Amino acid sequence: MTPAAPRSIDAYLKQLRDALADQDPALIQDAAYDAEEYLRAEIAAHPDKSEADVLELIASTYGAPEEVAAAYRETEAKVKAALQPPARPAVQAPSMLRSFFSVYRDPRAYTSLFVISLGEGRLIEAMTGERMPRRPVHPGPKLSLWAGIVAMLKDARTWTTLAYFILMLPLGIIYFVIATVGLAFGLTFTLAIPIEVLHHFDLIGASIQPAWLATAPMLIALNIIGIIVLTTLLHAARGIARAHARIAKRLLVTPG
Amino acid sequence: MEDSQVRKFQKDLNGGLVALVLLAVLAATQEDLYGYEIAKRLQRANEGEALFKEGTVYPVLRALSAAGLLTSRIVPSYSGPPRRYYRITDEGRTMFDQYRGVWRQTRDFVDRFIEAGITP
Repeated sequence: MTPAAPRSIDAYLKQLRDALADQDPALIQDAAYDAEEYLRAEIAAHPDKSEADVLELIASTYGAPEEVAAAYRETEAKVKAALQPPARPAVQAPSMLRSFFSVYRDPRAYTSLFVISLGEGRLIEAMTGERMPRRPVHPGPKLSLWAGIVAMLKDARTWTTLAYFILMLPLGIIYFVIATVGLAFGLTFTLAIPIEVLHHFDLIGASIQPAWLATAPMLIALNIIGIIVLTTLLHAARGIARAHARIAKRLLVTPG
Repeated sequence: MEDSQVRKFQKDLNGGLVALVLLAVLAATQEDLYGYEIAKRLQRANEGEALFKEGTVYPVLRALSAAGLLTSRIVPSYSGPPRRYYRITDEGRTMFDQYRGVWRQTRDFVDRFIEAGITP
């Protein structure tokens, strides 16, 4: 059943949101934002007409909510396909060793290392692939200053956004410690052999200490441990980034 | 029935053309434009029934922006939510030149058959 043609901006936006209900909340927010920009500009351009009169013509200019929703749905599918590398078809279950080391081939594992404490919104999307809004949330109907303040205080998103920023402090410290400690140990262990060789020829001052570690079997063991630590770190970074993107989305994006 | 087939044909044609036209509009101007202005420029240039609904312009603008062909900035507005202004990037200009070449080639190719059909 097609709903009655909307006669107000709020009704139009509601129908648009309903038509996109199955889509990502971030996409819905973008679509509602674009529509509101257009509708308010159109109303401002026709000061002699009422909101209802302007809305009556909207279906033939901007498009009916379902038409506009379809345009966003199609474009989103295309952009997703263009921005994200196609999923590699799983030919056979890779061995555990292989899937452990395949993390090196996943660019997100590297960028995830740096999402850590840097990323809100666009950053989170670029680095983790989690769809985040590309537009601010639409401000809703115009309110007086006082009503606006009250609405802001009553808006759950105000508090979840604050909670997010407070949460960022401990989370940021944890991510940072994991990244720096993991990188420091992983790189030193992995490079233990060249470090010791360069030291042996007096090319660098640094050497592997204590001395009992600087033996051939120990250096090879360090090298293996280093590679395992680095690889585990990349896995951890990717996992942290995914979890963090979920937290960010939960707290920063209003559903529907 | 006939009407809906014509509309579907138009919609299929529009697939890539909206992007080409948007790049052309932004390549031809020195100013930054926001969605509503762009939509109105297209509407003014068009005689008779619009080839595409203005609402379809916005998602394509976002897609071009995500592909790095346009940049955008947000400017507060008195009449509603902050407006997003778009500007074409160097990459966008290069792409526009290529799109334009493809379009001319396509148009000439199609015309060769259609015109041949009409002229005795």
